[in-house]
Order: sequence, then structure tokens, then C-alpha cells
Amino acid sequence: MGLVASGKAPKPLTKLLNLGRKYSIWMYQWGLACCAIEMGAVIGSPRYDVMRLGVIPFPASPRQADLVVISGTVTDKMVPSILRLYQQMPDPKYVISMGSCANCGGPYWDSYSVTKGVDQVIPVDVYVPGCPPRPEALLEGIVLLQERISNEDPAARWRGDPIVVD
Amino acid sequence: MTQLSSTDTDTSAEAEPQPDERREAWAARLADSLGNGYAEHHIIGGSDLWVRVARDSWTDAATAARDLLGCQFFDWLSAIDWLPSPFGRDMDAQEDNPEPKAADPMEQGHAGGETRFQMVMRLYSITEHMGLTIKADLPDGDLSIDTLIGVYPGADWHEREAWEMFGIHFNNHPDLRNIYLPGEFEGNPLRKDFPLLARRVKPWPGIVDVELFPGEEDS
Amino acid sequence: MTAVGTDQRQQLAYVATQAADARLNVEIETEGMTLNIGPQHPATHGTLRLVARLDGEQVVEAEPIMGYLHRGYEKLADVRTYPQVTTLINRIDWLGSFANEVPFILAAEQLMEVEAPPRAAWIRTILFELSRLANISLFLGDMGMQLGAITPVFFAFRDREFVLNQIEAVTGGRFHPNFDRIGGLKDDLPKGWIDETRGVMVKMRNFCDELEDLLLGNEIFEARTRGVGVIPADVALSYGLSGANLRASGVDWDMRRDNPCGLVHDQLDWKVWTHPDGDSFARYWVRLQETREATHMIEQMLDGLPGGPVMAKVPVIIKVPAGEAYVATENPLGVMGYYVVSKGDLGPFRVKIRSASFNNISVTPWVMRGVYVPDVITILASLYFILGDIDR
Ligand code: SF4
Repeated sequence: MGLVASGKAPKPLTKLLNLGRKYSIWMYQWGLACCAIEMGAVIGSPRYDVMRLGVIPFPASPRQADLVVISGTVTDKMVPSILRLYQQMPDPKYVISMGSCANCGGPYWDSYSVTKGVDQVIPVDVYVPGCPPRPEALLEGIVLLQERISNEDPAARWRGDPIVVD
Repeated sequence: MTQLSSTDTDTSAEAEPQPDERREAWAARLADSLGNGYAEHHIIGGSDLWVRVARDSWTDAATAARDLLGCQFFDWLSAIDWLPSPFGRDMDAQEDNPEPKAADPMEQGHAGGETRFQMVMRLYSITEHMGLTIKADLPDGDLSIDTLIGVYPGADWHEREAWEMFGIHFNNHPDLRNIYLPGEFEGNPLRKDFPLLARRVKPWPGIVDVELFPGEEDS
Repeated sequence: MTAVGTDQRQQLAYVATQAADARLNVEIETEGMTLNIGPQHPATHGTLRLVARLDGEQVVEAEPIMGYLHRGYEKLADVRTYPQVTTLINRIDWLGSFANEVPFILAAEQLMEVEAPPRAAWIRTILFELSRLANISLFLGDMGMQLGAITPVFFAFRDREFVLNQIEAVTGGRFHPNFDRIGGLKDDLPKGWIDETRGVMVKMRNFCDELEDLLLGNEIFEARTRGVGVIPADVALSYGLSGANLRASGVDWDMRRDNPCGLVHDQLDWKVWTHPDGDSFARYWVRLQETREATHMIEQMLDGLPGGPVMAKVPVIIKVPAGEAYVATENPLGVMGYYVVSKGDLGPFRVKIRSASFNNISVTPWVMRGVYVPDVITILASLYFILGDIDR
């Protein structure tokens, strides 16, 4: 992958690589609260079935994961674990923040023990709003992430460019 | 459908007047066994019983309730901070320097009380189907009380919670440390004078929604 | 096969015994080890962390460490109005959300001395039992998964959706309905709902039958749950265990039957299930029967639903008169109660939340002493807790 990391990969090759990455996302589930059950429905329920989008929700450890879905309330006590998880994941890595709690604190916006948004700790690619978001909303979030992956320059992640949202 | 009746679903036979007498009897028996440690009680007919005891009789009260009244079921234990909130009305932002107001008088609830902090414990008898709430005053200078672990082992975690949330010390508790909050947390969140910092930054909009919907004109 | 001489065979046998001895020695002289499960581990349904000191495969001491989901409900309730508090407390036990609102609303009603009209009380009870189905069905599937059977959990997610649909049709929310009001309910039932619900009840009973076939008669399931994590009745009571955990220890006590404040369970024909064993199997068994019983209860209620309004007359801006009230109900996880202290304001002065899982799980240090590591998972799964209900 030296070619990709150095940013010298030709355009068609990049497209091809992105296509491959897009449909083989290994998703690590970081279920923390109520939203985790909706995430469970996305994974476990035949009605939603995330695997049809090419997402594999059963990596054995964060070291194999491309995507982590932070779903639920992030507390100050939990933050160190989340940081450690994020550092363990290999690049390129993506984060979906699911639910109002993970986005901004949600109903606990004034609590003394809840972190007001997981984006204070790790960078987030897609925010899925709702309390809890319907399973369809998480699927939509994953589709958005896939769109983003297919359009991105893979080298940017290695270079550590700031992530621009468009 | 087969017969699904349970052994004693027959609640209609239980006419209402008895419970009050039963609660009076409970209060009387507790008062008997505690003697001077017993302060007062409050009964709401057909509904509930509150008993206040002295701090030193706290464990005795629990033992008596368990052995004499048959309250084997340990429901919960906690405390109440009766200080009126120094941050004004509930909905307001908690400003940094609230204007000094005339302090509201402290008012204790059922079964009275004299001090700011009060212990509350709830016990239940599964044979009598009746519960009671036992309270005890804690003097302001010395927030400590005996542990109930010897009577109800389940009190362990509840006491740790009360210790962390109110800063109440439990004598002879084997393992008094934080249960919820990270170790470096400062303060006792459930005390009324513990401010919620997020409210200082952004006040609560109010009881009615004041934000306009997109596209709506301000009239 | 190569022929081996007698001498050689003796020699091999000697070596083998030596090796076996050495292994045995190693096994006996195990060093203590600390095993950390969690805070994010699939076997703990959320963010519970369990620190177990092991001696070989045996647990010497296990201690749950909570607080990874502590959100400070009791403090937040101090600064919210009564209607806002119901929004919040929905999220305590997120699998059976509606059931969380009921005791709080009942406590507030008790303080205000209003009573919900009969139709509201009946619909409340229906939704209360529906949330029990939504909650316990997931347990029934999940317990299988903890023991290595994946299928039940898929079944659970499949059939749970039907219940959620019914809840959503009434309240508008799959999870967090926020539908209960002081003095009644927000709305009446939608058209056609009663018939649909009947169909769902049949589906849920089929689900129970399926699980009974899949798990209860299964040898592996029995071997892993029978006699594991036995909690005697007196210990269970002194730790404040409640709900199915207590009934599985042979205590015949159910708030729905014995203290039916505000709900209509006393007008129905049903049975409280108990089991004398107190082990993990009993806890599973009792919950399975309760799920079935709940479907029968709902059917009876659908038949006998009275007419009339669903809301009593209450002021628009709710001020609750000063006083104290404690109301507890038999929620899916066990006894849940709210101790509400009011000072006549828009919001409560203090709300103490008695959540079932906190007490249920406080018995773990006691029950886990001396069990084997795989049983830790069984016991945790069978005690059945929701993290939000522990940490609040
Ligand atoms: S966003 Fe809502 S549903 Fe999701 S974890 Fe937070 S409170 Fe629960």
C-alpha cells in the first residue's frame, strides 16, 4: 500500500480500492445504552439486517475493525476506554456517533457525569440523530459513510489531513 | 384456557379500614422496642407509614423492623438534603453569583426532622404486604451513622452510594469507596448546593418552547 | 502402526505418568489471577465491568464495578418539571420503557390526589404488560446466546419487533414512549389496534413455545444452568432481590397481585409463578412462564377494556402539592419505585429512584464466590439486569 499512502495511486486504482473498502466495512459495536438495542436490532433483526449493505458486524477485536459505532451515553468514566479503543483501531478508521447522547449529551445535557458529545474525544464521521434513532436511521448513516468512503482520497487518512465534511 | 387463578388473588375480601390499625400497631411496636430512640411517626391512612428515630437507634430500628415486624425485604436506603436549593427556582440557569436571596426556611417532610441531612430507609414485609419508611436526622457537624450491613447485607452498595452522593460516612462499613463516579470526582452531587455547571453556560429555555420553528415569523 | 517393544512401552508409560503428574502439580499450585471482564463486553449487556480474582478456574472473589453509565438521574430530576421527569425516566430501563413511567406517575397522582379514569388505568396496564413482553423476550433470547446458542436471540429480535410495533402504534415511540401523563394518558388507542394486538399475543406465545423447545429441554442448557448460582430465599430477601429473581427462589410475592396501586392486575385472572430451586435454570423458567402469563393478561384486558375518557381533569401547568409518596410496581426487572418529595413546586424536590437491577446485581459478590469462570456468565445472564437500571 505504499502507493496509496504516498498519494501516488492513479485515479482508477483509487476508485477500485474505495469500492472494495466501501463494501467490506468491519463494524465494531460499542453499545453503551438504549441506542445499543437499536443497533442490536440493526444487526440481529431480520427486518433490518445490516449485512446486506456489506457491513460485517462481528470483528473479534477493535484491531480488526474499520468502523466503530458509538451508540449511547458516553460518561466521563467511560471516556478513557473509548480513547483506548480508538487508538487500537488500524487506519483508516471511521466513527459513527449514534443517538443524541453520543452526539451532544442528549437528554443529559446538564448532567455532572455525562460527556457532552463523543466528538470531544475522537473525531466523528457521521452523526445519526435521534433518541433513539430508528434502525433505518443507522442504516442511512452507514450508507452516508459508504458514500463518503467512495469519494475520498485514501491517502488523506495517512497524511493526517483534517477531515473535511461536505 | 385452563384455570389460572393464583393461590390468593382474593383481594376483594381485604376491606380497607384494617391497614391503618395495622400501621398504628407497627408504629407502636417499634416505639416500644426502641424506647428513647423513637422520635415520631406519620401515617397516611391506607397508604404509608413514616417513622423517625434517633441516629443511635438506626441499626436497632432496622433490626426491630426485621425481627418484630417481619420486614425481611430490604428495599433501599438513601438520604435527603433538605436545604432549599441556593440556585433559585428549578428552571432557572444556575448563575455564578446568584443574587443573595432571603434563604427559604428549611422544611422537613413527613415525620418531621431538625437537621439538613436525613437518612431514609425503606423496608417491606412480604407477608403483611406493607412497607415503612424509617428516617433519622444527622447533625450537621458530624455526618456519620452506623452501617446496616450486619442487618441487611444488601445495604452495602446503597451505603456506598449515599456516601458518594451526600458525603455521609458509615461507621464500620468495610469498603466505603466510590460506586458510580470516577475516583477523581470532587463534590457530592446530590447535595443541593452542588451546581450543575452545564446550566451555567446555557440556561434552560423555559417551560414553553421559545425557539421558533424554521420559517416561522416572529410576531 | 509400528510395533513397540515391551521395554519401550514401559518407558513411554513412565514418561506419560511423569508428565501427567507434572501437569497435576501445575494445576494444583495455580497462582491467583485477576480477570477483568468489561467495561464493554458482549456478555455483560452494556457497560458493566466485572473484576474477578481467580484461583485456577475458580472465582475467589468477584466484584462488579459500575458507574460507566451513571447519568445522575436523581440530580437531574431536581431541576426538571414533572412532565420533563417522565421523559427522562423512560431511559432507565430502556427495554421496557413504559413501565418506568408508571410508578412515578402514580406517585405524583397520589400526591395530587387525582385518579386516572378507568379506561386510562386499563390501557396503562396493557402497555405496562406489553413493555414486559418487549423486555423479557430479549432476555429469553439473550440467555441462550450467552450459553452459546445464537438462534434464540435472532428469534427474540424478530418477535420483539411485533410488540414494539404495537407500542409504537399507540405511543409513537418504539422505545421511549413518554405517553403516561399525570391524570391519565396522552391519547386513546388507535383504530384496529385491539385486533392486531390479539394476533401479536398469539405470536408471542408461539415464540415462548419455540424457546421452550429450543432451550428448556436442551441437555447443554440444563447442564449449564441447573444448580448454578443458587440463591436461597432469605439471602435474596436481605439483598433486596425482586421480580423473577426472587420468585425463582421460591418466594411467592408479586407487587402486581399484592399491592396493585393504580393498575388493574387485581381484576384479572392470572397466576404468580414461582420455582423452588433458586438457580439459573429456575430464573429462566420463571421468566418464560411470566411472559406467557403476560400474554394471557393482555388478552383479558383487551376483552374487558372499559369505555370513557382517558384523561382526568388536571391543570395545564402541573404543580404537585407538598408531601412525600413512595410507589413501587412490579416492573419487568423487578420492583421499581420512586420516592417523590414535593414542595409544591413545578418540579419535584427530591426523587429517589429504587431500581430493580441495582439490588438484583448487588448479590453477585455473594453468589459468585467459588463458582467456575463459565458460570460467571451464566449467573450474570440469568440475574438479568439492564445497565441503565443499575447505574441510573
Ligand atoms: S440518545 Fe436517547 S436512546 Fe440513545 S442512549 Fe441516549 S438517551 Fe438512550
